[in-house]
Amino acid sequence: MIDISDVRLQLQSRAGAVDILRGIDLTVADGESVAVLGPSGSGKSTLLMVIAGLERPTSGRVEVAGTDIGGLDEDRLALFRRNRVGIVFQSFHLVTAMTALENVAVPLELGGDPAPFDKARDILGRVGLADRLEHYPAELSGGEQQRVAIARAFAPGPDLILADEPTGNLDQATGAQVIETLFSMQAETGATLLLITHDRDLAGRCGRVLSMADGRIEAAQPAAAG
Amino acid sequence: MTESGTDQTAPGAGPGLVVALRLARRDLRGGIRGFRVMIACLALGVAAIAGIGSFNAAIQEGLHRDAQALLGGDLDLRLTHRPASPEQVAWLRARGRVSTAVRMRTMARPERPGPGTRAGGDRTLVELKSVDGNYPLYGEVRTEPAEPLAQLLAKGTGGAYGAVVEQGLLDRIGLKPGDLIRFGTATLRIAAVLLREPDLASGRFKLGPRVIISDAALGATGLVRPGSLIRYHTRIAYPPGSDGGDLEDALAEAFPDAGWQVRDIESATPRLRRHIERAALFFTLVGLAALLVGGIGVAGAVTGYLAGKRETIATLKCLGATGGFIFTLFALEVGAIALAGIALGLAVGAGLTALAAPEISAVLPVIPRATIYPAPLLIAAGYGAAVAVLFSLWPLARAREVTAAELFRGIVARGRFRPPAGVLAGLAGALAAIAVLALATAVRPDFALWFLLGGAIAFPLYYLLGGVVARLAGGAARRLAAGARRYPRLALALANIHRPGAPTRAIILAFGVGLTVFVALVQVEGNLRRQIAERIPANAPAFFFIDIQPDQVAGFEDAIKGVPDVGDLSRMPSMRGRIVKVAGEPVTNVNVGRGARWAVRGDRGLTYARTPPEGTEIVSGQWWPADYAGPPLVSLDVRIARGLGMAIGDSVTLNVLGREITGRLANTRRITWSTIGLNFVIIFSPGALEDAPQTFIATVSAPPRAEPAIVRAVTDRFDNITAISVREALATVVEALDNIAAAARATAALALIAGVLVLAGAVAAGLKERTRDAVILKVTGARRRDLAIAYIIEYGLAGLAAGLTAAAVGSIAGYLILTRIMDANWVFLPGPALVTLLVAVTGVIALGFAGTWRALAQKPAPVLRRL
Repeated sequence: MIDISDVRLQLQSRAGAVDILRGIDLTVADGESVAVLGPSGSGKSTLLMVIAGLERPTSGRVEVAGTDIGGLDEDRLALFRRNRVGIVFQSFHLVTAMTALENVAVPLELGGDPAPFDKARDILGRVGLADRLEHYPAELSGGEQQRVAIARAFAPGPDLILADEPTGNLDQATGAQVIETLFSMQAETGATLLLITHDRDLAGRCGRVLSMADGRIEAAQPAAAG
Repeated sequence: MTESGTDQTAPGAGPGLVVALRLARRDLRGGIRGFRVMIACLALGVAAIAGIGSFNAAIQEGLHRDAQALLGGDLDLRLTHRPASPEQVAWLRARGRVSTAVRMRTMARPERPGPGTRAGGDRTLVELKSVDGNYPLYGEVRTEPAEPLAQLLAKGTGGAYGAVVEQGLLDRIGLKPGDLIRFGTATLRIAAVLLREPDLASGRFKLGPRVIISDAALGATGLVRPGSLIRYHTRIAYPPGSDGGDLEDALAEAFPDAGWQVRDIESATPRLRRHIERAALFFTLVGLAALLVGGIGVAGAVTGYLAGKRETIATLKCLGATGGFIFTLFALEVGAIALAGIALGLAVGAGLTALAAPEISAVLPVIPRATIYPAPLLIAAGYGAAVAVLFSLWPLARAREVTAAELFRGIVARGRFRPPAGVLAGLAGALAAIAVLALATAVRPDFALWFLLGGAIAFPLYYLLGGVVARLAGGAARRLAAGARRYPRLALALANIHRPGAPTRAIILAFGVGLTVFVALVQVEGNLRRQIAERIPANAPAFFFIDIQPDQVAGFEDAIKGVPDVGDLSRMPSMRGRIVKVAGEPVTNVNVGRGARWAVRGDRGLTYARTPPEGTEIVSGQWWPADYAGPPLVSLDVRIARGLGMAIGDSVTLNVLGREITGRLANTRRITWSTIGLNFVIIFSPGALEDAPQTFIATVSAPPRAEPAIVRAVTDRFDNITAISVREALATVVEALDNIAAAARATAALALIAGVLVLAGAVAAGLKERTRDAVILKVTGARRRDLAIAYIIEYGLAGLAAGLTAAAVGSIAGYLILTRIMDANWVFLPGPALVTLLVAVTGVIALGFAGTWRALAQKPAPVLRRL
């Protein structure tokens, strides 16, 4: 599903060039779940952005779901994400002017799905929010908002789910519920999951755990579970 | 999972317009708070243009509908000095209903002065009209009491004919209905107050109240004397169902030498139409200026709205929305808001016209037809749409550049924005649409072109000025920081001016353009007033006396000289003649230049003289010797001579009361009418016209205190001599100017109101950031007073920059309008410029401060908790 080799990313700052990624090689198989652990500034969120086509590497090759995304322009990258990638953010990033149902329907509508609201209603039911369809984000708790975000990420049936610290803004109990939802949806759909976290317990639920530090993948650990 | 075998990343695989519409509708459900200024700006400008256009259309429609009534018939034949012959009237009577009317200016006075009348002030100039029993052929005369006109004008029980007079006359000489009034040698009874007469198209510039009497009453006044300045109108109404056919041609064939000025309903009100169309154009262009200033508010609102939508845009991009989809989505939202603003403007514009039409009709000769006029509304909507596109396309194009990565990094890319070719084409299209609309709908495209050129200079100028002020503030702030002394309030003010996202540029641009329009108008108005109020009276006479019969000259001069304090007395013979040939060629075959056409349209005043009138400036040729006794020579106004294509030595033939007189052009003169001296466009050498029927015209200089005595001295002795007070005539002109100026200022104020809206929007957009800064500064020890002073300095500097530049640019625009378009003199009037500057500085400070006050009033703790 993911095949990247010698990916480097250098950003310019006032103090000079900063190396964010320093030669990343990574292969993730279809259906696999992989956690990326690491301290702040280690480059793990940047790696996720490169895989999602949101950030262009300075050098190296990025192939996702059989597509070399290095050669795609901004609009083709958007279309690529629409069809292949679902993203779950730490801050949920729901559209505040839309209800839970509408938020989940958006990627389906963008993809031209003939029955976006039926599918959105179905998947919201699967994440336990059947009674929250018409609620706006401001009327939902943090955990509910993140479950809406998960439903939205899975709704178009992507091959790959990228989750960036999905429990970072939640208390422990709520975070646990959200993670349950995330893994059960992954198991149900068979999508590949790349999870960015600094929570070792959470990372342990993935099939493989990678550690990042200073822009490099330092070690791969076998799965504890999942 | 996705379908296999197709390129899912191929462009064009995006969602359709329907999805964008759906998402736009959802997004707007969140409210349009940020768009209030945009709606107000668009509505204001569109309402102004729609209102002016609708009102113009209502008047033009009224003129069209009432054309027969305004003209007095289907055809109006006008002669000066003499009525149509019985043969001519009989010819017309065989072809329709005929009515005759006679118009002249004369003096009215009460039989006994009223109680409220000041001594000597009881004689006044009136516009007298006598009518026959068929009058009016079309329309109706409205009077109070409302009785049939023939009944009102007939002889009453006391043996006096009735007169219907305007209320203004009663007020001026202290009379009431039922009282007796004298015109010439006849005493008439005031039978009713004249509310409205239909045939106003034949009226000249109104110098006194209107009076209607009967033909028989006119005969009794003794005012009809040879050479008196009297207009005779013969009107015909075609039989029902007839449009007259080739009556005009038949008339010209039957009476080729009649010399009358023929007007039909097509040409009934050309001057009035032209004046109103020009006024409408002027007000429309000022309304467009207001709309363009409001455009800055549109740009600010769209930018602010999209800045608040960055997270949504980035999220949608993460979910697979393309830049094109984002553009479509927000273009639909902005378009919907723009439509709402435009629709509101159209409703207000059309509604105000309907409400105001009856009020304003009192000062117009026509009753506007208040209804919905689609054409001006479409034009106003077109302007609104073009301005909305022009000012929202750029921020919309920038929105599509928002990257999804912002959700992760929280940073906003502020790189140099290169708009795609489509956006540049859209901007060019919007600009072209405004220009085409302005030029295509203008009765004077040259005015519109000047306006567009002015806008093309003013907008970039003020935009650049905003940048320069920000840069200067930045430089000053750095120098201040490097210096030894600390000026914390000034430093804060300078920082506020040049920080990214500061409202300075929007304030300077919006206020600057609005103030420029205002300064230009005030300079033009001030200069016109100055010329009327200051320059002219210094050497102007107090009175013009007309219709002095040759046998009255000596008595008239005695009467004048008998009044104490009287100054110069000038006198010239006066008669009427029509130019019929130029260099032997009938004038109808001559290609007469635009500026001289009026001179060949019917009769013109002319005279003969041994010496040139005072202040004559000879342009070409030479004045004849005072004792000249040779063949007739002619002196012409230089513009008329040029318009007729005449050179010195060419012949010109005039028909003076049926007799043709030919003279050779001896010289051309430049006449300065604004000195209000005695002068004539056509002057013959001595010997040619002495025997023609003539009257005399005289001017008398006198201080205001002597004026009543002069009027009484002349009118007591001569019933037929009419005194035209220059002071009262100028007061009438000033009154007309007052009305025009008030309307112009009100329209120009719209541009300033648009500026205020823009300022309010710009200040409101930055309020959150300003509140945060204020709280942090308070935490670090700043007092509210320090912050308030910093704000005053900040807004004061922005107002000063806008005001100074507006005073300069507006004065230049005023100079160009006066000297290039109005052909008038110009002097810089420091008063209006200074007032503008004060208004700008205090206005910007007051409005800016009012918008920012809340930032100062915030308690730190709640704000800090949210940071």
